[in-house]
Amino acid sequence: MAAVVTVIGIALWVFQLTSGMVNTNMRNLDSWGLYITMFMFLVGLSAGGLIISSVPRAFGMEGFGGISKVAVWTSICCTVLAIGFVVVDLGQPLRLWELFAYSNLGSPLMWDIIVLAVYLILSIVYLWATLRAEAGKVSNTALRVVSVFALVCAVLVHSVTAWIFGLQQGREMWHTALLGPWFVSSALVCGTALVLMVVIALRRAGYLELDQKNVVKMVKMLGAFVCVDLYFFGCDLLTEAFPAGSGADLVAMLTTGALAPFFWIEIIGCAFAAVVAFMPALRRNGLIVVAAVLAIVGIFCKRVQLLVGGFQIPNLDMPAVASGPGLTDAGAALQGAGGAMVYFPAPLEFGVMLGVVGLGALLLLLGLKFLPLRPVSASH
Amino acid sequence: MARYGMVIDTKRCIGCNACSMACKMANNLPDGNWWTRVLTEGGDEIDTPAGIFPNVSMRYVTVSCQHCENPACTKVCPVGATYKDPETGVVRQDYDKCIGCRMCMAACPYTGVRSFNWEEPAYSVDFAIGDADAAPHQKHVVEKCTFCYQRLARGEVPACMDLCPARARHFGDLDDPESEVSRLVKERSYEQLLASEGTKPSVYYLV
Repeated sequence: MAAVVTVIGIALWVFQLTSGMVNTNMRNLDSWGLYITMFMFLVGLSAGGLIISSVPRAFGMEGFGGISKVAVWTSICCTVLAIGFVVVDLGQPLRLWELFAYSNLGSPLMWDIIVLAVYLILSIVYLWATLRAEAGKVSNTALRVVSVFALVCAVLVHSVTAWIFGLQQGREMWHTALLGPWFVSSALVCGTALVLMVVIALRRAGYLELDQKNVVKMVKMLGAFVCVDLYFFGCDLLTEAFPAGSGADLVAMLTTGALAPFFWIEIIGCAFAAVVAFMPALRRNGLIVVAAVLAIVGIFCKRVQLLVGGFQIPNLDMPAVASGPGLTDAGAALQGAGGAMVYFPAPLEFGVMLGVVGLGALLLLLGLKFLPLRPVSASH
Repeated sequence: MARYGMVIDTKRCIGCNACSMACKMANNLPDGNWWTRVLTEGGDEIDTPAGIFPNVSMRYVTVSCQHCENPACTKVCPVGATYKDPETGVVRQDYDKCIGCRMCMAACPYTGVRSFNWEEPAYSVDFAIGDADAAPHQKHVVEKCTFCYQRLARGEVPACMDLCPARARHFGDLDDPESEVSRLVKERSYEQLLASEGTKPSVYYLV
């Protein structure tokens, strides 16, 4: 099933390359779209697994009961997906080799490529070291050292991804020093939520045993991360709105304007997750899964706000003939009708996205099937 | 070492779009692409003033690549496909190198200056027009105004200069204090687009 979706996705991608990216709904004034949104989102998702398993080990604390291998495998799959989304976004993927031949080391995109590659390799090394340690071939000290490196790299990968956006002075929505820490906190929210969902599903499927107290521990962590993330959002909104200058337009765009649905889904979803996390009576498996799903959906909505919001308000807003297709006909009509979103993905983009996600699902399932990821008695 | 720049007299510009046409023809731009465009500063539509008669105001701002001294685009290009030419200060674009990531379009604060060829470039006439030495256009790469680099190399001025009927455009070396552009910037009051972004544009608008 996942393989079929992947093959269809690759076929759609080839179509996109041959008959032109004009078939997507990206245009000159909204030059990034669903692919880069998914890239941001998956970089975030990949964090949780690695952090959940490496933090306890790096600091010598009690872990979450042997789920670390599954968690790290999830994060490896997400990293591969994130890289996949950058590749499908490129106009000239055959020129990817130039990244290594003509690297401009000053470009945040280049930093991200380097740090993502290191992160992927470190995650694999970490998983391998965990497996070898269980077999008694790698010492616990060595494993701990690897886990510290992996942890540092996980924080870096999110900061650098934030800098792709945060260092652009030309886009007011993105240009804030808060973006780095904020990406880390959002990554922790959706990463933890993903691990929670995966382990509850795997426990139900009988793949692994997990004490409820470990689940509760993770839910509490999720609650704390959600609060930090919402706090950052509040700080950012206040800083934008208070001078009542052009930043106030951004806040209006989020709270009542074109991006309001995404804004409110995020706020309500994340608030719900926090409530479930902090009310012992509500910490039932069904609600925990709902909270985790809402937290992930909320963070996805945040990515949409960030990406579309960067393009929504043009700097030079004066009437003129557009160079090339500024917006799609649909986008222009929507905007003419009164401030709706400048961008909404085309069917082709959804198709290619499903293909890339299918590849991830395939990787995840193959790993669960063929890699020794089940907890063993000495795994934490 | 030179820093080529352009000084545009908004008091003389009549918004005729001749510069846009001259640019389009000289560089054989694909259908729909405009490297230099005329923006109306005034009402909500092209060629409309702001305000209610008799208190109306309108002027034209012709916008193309600002060839910034501190460009936001060149810093972020992962492969150096867009770069500042050290000899002339012109921000150039290498179509053969561009990987189509569109990072430069996200970085450039000047809305609508950079455009991506979302499909195979198409043309209204079935033969190439304009300068024979202009770089051929490619699908899935970013392009923009080059100050007609091919013309500069021959010792000529950009095409948009040639046809301006109002003589609103001036071109030259901003590093040379004796040049016409340096003199105009010294003598007249001017504005720069989005000066607060810190990009130090090489295009000046006389007001």
